[in-house]
Amino acid sequence: MEIMRLIVTGTVGAGKSTFIRSVSEIEVVDTDTRATDETALLKQKTTVAFDFGRLQFGPDMALHLYGTPGQSRFDFMWDILICKGHAYILLIAAHRPREFRQARKILNFMKERVQIPMIIGLTHTDCPGAWSEEDVYLSIGYIDKEQRPPMIKVNPTQRESVAEAVITLVQRLMESCAV
Amino acid sequence: MAINTEKLSMILQHFVTATTDVQGAALVTPDGLPLGASLPSGMDEERVSAMSASMLSLGERIGIELARGSVDRIFVEGNKGFGILTGCGEDAVLLVLASETAKQGLLMLEIKRVLAELKLVLM
Repeated sequence: MEIMRLIVTGTVGAGKSTFIRSVSEIEVVDTDTRATDETALLKQKTTVAFDFGRLQFGPDMALHLYGTPGQSRFDFMWDILICKGHAYILLIAAHRPREFRQARKILNFMKERVQIPMIIGLTHTDCPGAWSEEDVYLSIGYIDKEQRPPMIKVNPTQRESVAEAVITLVQRLMESCAV
Repeated sequence: MAINTEKLSMILQHFVTATTDVQGAALVTPDGLPLGASLPSGMDEERVSAMSASMLSLGERIGIELARGSVDRIFVEGNKGFGILTGCGEDAVLLVLASETAKQGLLMLEIKRVLAELKLVLM
């Protein structure tokens, strides 16, 4: 049995924990704690170590999904998780442009440490004030169209939508293995 | 009534200087924000706070999933000393750093004492 470790990272409140909860076949191991910082304005609980979920993918492959905390003070967890990952998805809430800078920070942090396949998942695209894919690309620093990772819209609360994102990420991983 | 942060810091500082072999202490929220600290130089308060929160929540999760019950403390023993995490009421976590020469029994007693002091201020 082959195990693929996928890392789910992204900004606070983008939907990382929900993403994992939506597809995991086991009860998700979470480390939610009551939020007391500015996160509390957004939601009551926040991940402080990691989320863990599992998904059987075909007869001889299992996916292990690890979700990171969103806040920078937990960047040691980003480090621990990303170094063991095979691929990652960066979730960004499309309707909170103020957090794009944080998304870029996470992205740079990951790029400094690993060169593994990645995709961008755009969440909250149905919310008022949501930015278009093109604008999000530009705002997180992907100017050159040739050099961009794939971006897909994800609704973390819907299993099918999350499954699609996971499949896209695994495909990207397979492509990079083939080369 | 607001929490007296000065008093918190004073208690922690006093605890670190007055207890032999204790090198540092930090009081943090369960989501990893500093409330007060007296740490060895070179240790970043924010980072220490975040790490304490991760450690505690993971420890508690292990307590639940592996049927160890509620967690009293988390103990990290290295060849250069100890790191001990203890819950301090609902809203705070205490991290104590001690050198390898520390006597564990004594350390536990001192931690218990300082916890009682801190809880009074947090109430």
